[in-house]
Amino acid sequence: MRMNHLLPVAIAAAAAAFALPAHAGKTLDAVKSRGQVVCGVNTSGPGFSNADSQGRWTGLDVDFCKAVAAAVLSDANKVKFVPLNSQQRFSSLQAGEIDVLSRNSTWTLTRDASLGVVFTGINYFDGQGFMVPKKLKIDSAKKMNGATVCVQAGTTSEKNVADYFGANGMKYKSVVFDTAEAITSAFFAGRCQVYTTDMSDLAGARTKAPNADDYVILPQVISKEPLGPSVRRGDDEWFEIVRWTLFAMLEAEEHGLTQANVDEQKTSNKDPNVQRFLGISEDTGKLLGLDAAWAYRIVKQVGNYGESFERNLGPKTPVALPRGVNNLWTKGGLMYAPPIR
Amino acid sequence: MSAPAEPIGDAAWRARRRARRLREGLVQGLAALLLLALAIVVAHNVGANLAARQIKSGFDFLSGPAGFNIGETLFEFAARDTYLRAFAVGMTNTLRVALAGIVLASLLGVVVGLMRLSHHPLLAALGAAYVELFRNVPLLIQLLAIYLLITELLPEASGALSVEGVALLSKEGLQIAVPEEGRRALGYALGAFAVAAAVGLLAARHWLNVGAGLIALAAGAAAAAATWLLAGAAMGWSRPVLDGFLISGGAALTPEFLALWLGLALFTSASIAELVRAGVLAVPAGQWHAALALGMTRGQAMAGVIFPQALRLAIPPLASQYMNLIKNSSLAVVIGYPDLVSIANTSINQNGQALEVIVIIMAVYLSLNLVVAVVMNAVNARVTRAPR
Repeated sequence: MRMNHLLPVAIAAAAAAFALPAHAGKTLDAVKSRGQVVCGVNTSGPGFSNADSQGRWTGLDVDFCKAVAAAVLSDANKVKFVPLNSQQRFSSLQAGEIDVLSRNSTWTLTRDASLGVVFTGINYFDGQGFMVPKKLKIDSAKKMNGATVCVQAGTTSEKNVADYFGANGMKYKSVVFDTAEAITSAFFAGRCQVYTTDMSDLAGARTKAPNADDYVILPQVISKEPLGPSVRRGDDEWFEIVRWTLFAMLEAEEHGLTQANVDEQKTSNKDPNVQRFLGISEDTGKLLGLDAAWAYRIVKQVGNYGESFERNLGPKTPVALPRGVNNLWTKGGLMYAPPIR
Repeated sequence: MSAPAEPIGDAAWRARRRARRLREGLVQGLAALLLLALAIVVAHNVGANLAARQIKSGFDFLSGPAGFNIGETLFEFAARDTYLRAFAVGMTNTLRVALAGIVLASLLGVVVGLMRLSHHPLLAALGAAYVELFRNVPLLIQLLAIYLLITELLPEASGALSVEGVALLSKEGLQIAVPEEGRRALGYALGAFAVAAAVGLLAARHWLNVGAGLIALAAGAAAAAATWLLAGAAMGWSRPVLDGFLISGGAALTPEFLALWLGLALFTSASIAELVRAGVLAVPAGQWHAALALGMTRGQAMAGVIFPQALRLAIPPLASQYMNLIKNSSLAVVIGYPDLVSIANTSINQNGQALEVIVIIMAVYLSLNLVVAVVMNAVNARVTRAPR
């Protein structure tokens, strides 16, 4: 277990010790010659990245990795998923073990500016909340003075909860585990009165409770948690590809292009924006080092952002999160992609 | 002591010796230089690469605020305190569980080791079963199992098992009543222990030939307990009481501490039991015969003749068991006990300075184990000095 945790760090250290002074990595070339995108995902995050009993990965973050593979390698299935816990994730990316980190990670200044990684965008706007057992009859986060709080090591949650309790003059005892699984099992066993993490994670964890109705997620949201994919610093070409993959998924939704209708729209829709997007009238891929049909393949093989959201987090899934601020800007949300032209 | 010595050997021999020493010195000096150069190259390269990858480096972060909270601490810690203080908390937590683990593992180990040597078949079989069980199941699994037992089986705080006014046992851990000013009382108790043990040792040495150490320990423990109770009576007791959905008052051993402590002690005690058994069996049978021939009972022979000799054989490997225990305590993170590694993990993720933090972890464990080595070597030197 410990070996597992320290391995990426050790590799990062060894790489730093013996690598020749770094040059801008050619991630795109490496991915193409390997024929696979190596993507770091959450070990267990229902709705974001979750492996079923056959080892098939599903989730919003998983779909994003597939979209990158569809754009770069023409096949959404050419992805190797590397499950990482919250402490390994950035070390793994630094060490070059993964090409993309798509693991519901919060974009913060410290991470963006000092870890040697750079965030490419936001694929889920989240915020930190609290889950408590119903029987404690706590209806507000302000009534948790003295509580024992379960929290995951190495997360922004760990700092936010200290800030929140401090700001409200409340005391708490924290119990820190290194995996989400350890937290949920301790929380559902009754070791802590409170489990705190991002709202979306709480909704996912609640689906794993012996009886989901015994637990309630409090209404207070105590932080901004913009979650998004990140890549290693120093390879701008790869950074652009990953960044525009997300924008393409958003743009497709804005144009009403879906997995089901994209072939038909390709010929019937004469909107110049759509024609350009699908690579018919213009080759936008060339500028990214890809081919003209890169965005078409993303929609065809993975779907637009809205489809991915519905499939993984929407009302028909166990997680059942409302679209809320993650809706398109045209529908009152915050999701906005710069024009693809 | 000795008069200025006559030079030994003849001139030719001394010349050869000088040449040999010069050669050896040169080779060793060269090797040391090479190592130093390699270290400088590596350090330089690490710095250059970290800078090239735009990863922040250096130890400046230690004086900055940590920003996170720690669940159990031996001294005050708040989120605005520095990383340095956070590491100190982690280190004291590691030390606390390691020391408690070493004491319990040694006691259990001696008892089980002697059980295995017993002529009573049931005792011997029980001892063997204990050793095989705890030595052969991976420590990680034992820790998870014990933690699961504690968190699943014990009642919630509202229905805690209680010895009225003295102790509460629940998912919140074990809460026990302590004197109002627990820290001061603990100081008094430790003082009483030292005084009583010293006096006890002198007195016992005077009256007895064997077992003086044990008697001194017992006297110390009794004095400490009496002082603790007296302090409680004088200051009043802080008793654990259920307050809303939480327990307040008293002193707490958290489920995480309990699980780690028990896990480490049980796992290590199985190996210590084998060391004890090996040590006793290695004492020549003639020692037994001689002791019994002098009219000692088996118990007296064991306590006064065999065990002290067995101890000599057992101490060097015992030192490595203690060191293993200290290092194994880093498994704490899987059950949420805030030891040094757990704090370090959190720090790495808050500030991203993995290299620096790993260096700190290594330095701390190295120092702790060097201290154990020094202490155990001193003990070893003392017991082997006695004539055989």
